[in-house]
Amino acid sequence: MFEIGLKDNGEVIVSGRLDAAQAEKAQQFLDTVGDRCVLDMSGLEYISSAGLGVLLRTHKRLMGGDVGLELINVNKHIADIFRYSGFDKLFVIRTI
Amino acid sequence: MQKTYSRSFDQIQEIVADTERFFVEENIDESLRMKVDLSLEELFVNMVSYNTETERDILIEMQPIDRGIEVSLTDFNVERFDPTCVSEVDIDAPLGERTPGGLGLYLVLKMADSIHYQYHDRTSKITFTNSVKEG
Repeated sequence: MFEIGLKDNGEVIVSGRLDAAQAEKAQQFLDTVGDRCVLDMSGLEYISSAGLGVLLRTHKRLMGGDVGLELINVNKHIADIFRYSGFDKLFVIRTI
Repeated sequence: MQKTYSRSFDQIQEIVADTERFFVEENIDESLRMKVDLSLEELFVNMVSYNTETERDILIEMQPIDRGIEVSLTDFNVERFDPTCVSEVDIDAPLGERTPGGLGLYLVLKMADSIHYQYHDRTSKITFTNSVKEG
């Protein structure tokens, strides 16, 4: 189960498992974001390379406008995957 | 555990549920779940995405080993593709040079304690292990 939506404060919130079966849903939503985007990952349990691809494509698009994607409330397991992937050098990441 | 899955990303949810059940039944340390889920998904997705000349289901087998788990994925009637020989991903590359491609198998090689590839009679079998370290 994967969910993505907007919080009242304008941040994007994701929860559940962002795997290859859910990547398209996430990409479609994030493609509608046109400004600096804060992604609240407090409810995200799992991410695979398909999900990392979604984040990378979105970040690159937003960085074209000098803004980018900021990842907040990242749990330890997902922070490890970001570190293994080198994403910790590409994104602003705030862990829980 | 031995079970076949059709060649669709929609099967990932069922694979995750079966893995969860196997961990509980065999009392496998839950701390290994994320690594096992990740390697399983990446290898399954790779087979579904690139071995497109076959419609045969993919066989997944799991068995407990000392302090951990051994998982095999077998794909039938396919060309040889050894995931242990993929090129390195430059994780230090700047954003403009980064692409999502290749990251999945790279992560498998980082996450698995061991990974072994066999190819025989147009059958690919990939086996990986994860176990809890002593101490």
